[in-house]
Amino acid sequence: MLRRYVLRRLFAAALQLLALTVAVFFLIRLLPADPVSRFVGLNASAEAYAQAERNLGLDRPLLVQLGQYLGVLPGAGPGLLQGDLGTSWVTGSPVLDEIAHTLPRTLELVTLSFVVAFLIAAPVGMLGALRPGGTADRGVFVYSLFAGSQPEFWWGLLFVYVFFFSLGWAPAPLGVLSPMTSAPEPVTGFMLIDSLLAGRPEVFVEALHHYALPVLTLVFILSGPIIKMVRQNMARALESDFVLYARCAGLPGGAIARAAFRAAMAPSMTLIGILYGFMLGGAVLVESVFSLGGLGQYAIRSILAFDYPAIQGVVLVITAVSLLVYLALDLIHAAIDPRVSYA
Amino acid sequence: MSLGGAEAAVAARSTPSRTRRRPDPLFALGVAIVAVAVLLALIGPEIAPYDPTQATLFYNEPPPPLAEWPGLLRATLAGELPQPPHWFGTDASGFDVFSRVIAAPRIDLAIALAANVLSLGVGVLLGLVAGYYTNWATALLMRASDVMQSFPVFISAMILVALAGRATGNIVLALCLLYTPIYIRLTRAEVLTQRKRGFVEAARAMGSTELRCALVHVLPNSLAPALIQSSVTIGFAILLTAGLSFVGAGVRPPTPEWGLMISTGANQIILGEWWPSVFPGIAISLTVFGFAVLGNALERRYDGN
Repeated sequence: MLRRYVLRRLFAAALQLLALTVAVFFLIRLLPADPVSRFVGLNASAEAYAQAERNLGLDRPLLVQLGQYLGVLPGAGPGLLQGDLGTSWVTGSPVLDEIAHTLPRTLELVTLSFVVAFLIAAPVGMLGALRPGGTADRGVFVYSLFAGSQPEFWWGLLFVYVFFFSLGWAPAPLGVLSPMTSAPEPVTGFMLIDSLLAGRPEVFVEALHHYALPVLTLVFILSGPIIKMVRQNMARALESDFVLYARCAGLPGGAIARAAFRAAMAPSMTLIGILYGFMLGGAVLVESVFSLGGLGQYAIRSILAFDYPAIQGVVLVITAVSLLVYLALDLIHAAIDPRVSYA
Repeated sequence: MSLGGAEAAVAARSTPSRTRRRPDPLFALGVAIVAVAVLLALIGPEIAPYDPTQATLFYNEPPPPLAEWPGLLRATLAGELPQPPHWFGTDASGFDVFSRVIAAPRIDLAIALAANVLSLGVGVLLGLVAGYYTNWATALLMRASDVMQSFPVFISAMILVALAGRATGNIVLALCLLYTPIYIRLTRAEVLTQRKRGFVEAARAMGSTELRCALVHVLPNSLAPALIQSSVTIGFAILLTAGLSFVGAGVRPPTPEWGLMISTGANQIILGEWWPSVFPGIAISLTVFGFAVLGNALERRYDGN
């Protein structure tokens, strides 16, 4: 049952990704950008321009280009369906390799931020739900409205000013390791894991230290919607008949709270998944404030340089990861909530 | 104990409706913030003490200490100073930060409003059609908006604006493309329930044409979710516009725009020169919060009915 459900979801996700890839492919080619003159310069001769256009493959009909990108054109080499995302026009190296280097940094940042944000926001949201309309509830509500509508890049800069410049507690916002430290052998690509695998706990601590401010920034922004959601779901669970029944039956407060918490968490999972997917692309700004060198910064560089294969790769990978996260959280949701079945 | 708990639970159920009637200071704050932002969008560039796109002779001048502000204000109003003070200091190019901060709403709000009105109009009309007629064309429309909504928002906005050219009109169009599917979906869902209601049936029975039913009876009653959403969307459009400028895919310098100002000051903040970035940031922070408060109040009023 479970296996069939997962397979069906993966199949649907693959179709969605294919539709998205085709949409992005046409979208970026229909926009009036001229990547060729970006590469040869505006004063290039007509021959040089035509040569560059041929090299980039932009002289061929759109459908042929699409066929080649997807890898369904006979005799044109591997494409997307064979797991090849093409070569970057700027660096000349495979897009897949470049994404494999930058994606772990972003996943590390976003996951770390989500864990911390959830650990802080869930109790705060429940505090608000305990007495709806009370002072604590009002305060929590205003905070969540405020935090959820803030320019994260500006808060990042503000934190840099306070914690790096004024107090000196945080390192300069120039990456995950100081320039003097040699990076550990990349095994998984995740700095926090690789440093431990290499047996260098001091590098682990240093990376955590560098992640502190960007994580703080994202936690602040994320706490808004998470608190709002937990508060809403918890208040609804506490109002529900089964909690009323549990109270009337004289169950101890702790048992009631546990039951209500479980009922409140189940619907929260869906929203967390959406938020996670949103943050994979939304972390761009925080990454660029702290020069973390993640997928977001790779996206900025590729987009501003009109590097079409890289742009397509980034959109594809971000969407693919979000779809996988949705699936994983739906499975967790089903595990928590007995009413959900794999129909 | 158990009975007390039950009473508390019942009381907790009835409190929300009681608190809703109290006058809400938060709502007043939201209205005030939005009113100031709109006012500055109308007259900001005209009342700015310096030309927001004309450099002064002073670079990186810090703002005067807060203690001197009352004296400076008195002297300015009395006309005793040779030239107005730089309330928020000057940035690395010599622009007066205060003048740029109060001139920026014209750009920021105009982009957000234009994008919102356009996507609201298109989205509501398409949503009405999609809710009214269920055929292959509207099914295709819904699939297309599904695909649009699965794009990562910020990255798509960057792609659209950077590849279409960094012009204000292109930012508006990009935001439109991203927000229209939201309105299509909200309106369609509402139309699907409204068109089956009794008064629509009655109008039809009295001989109204299908078009009249759709435009006069169903449409006005299906607008609420989209209109509530629009207050939230305006705030997010301001954030997105600022974010685009911050990464270099938004309006071009030296346009007075909050995100661009934060971006130009970003390199100086490590050196301790905080004022070029901090003041425009406060402006964005408050403005978007104001719109969020308004949106939330509208939402609660609608749900309360």
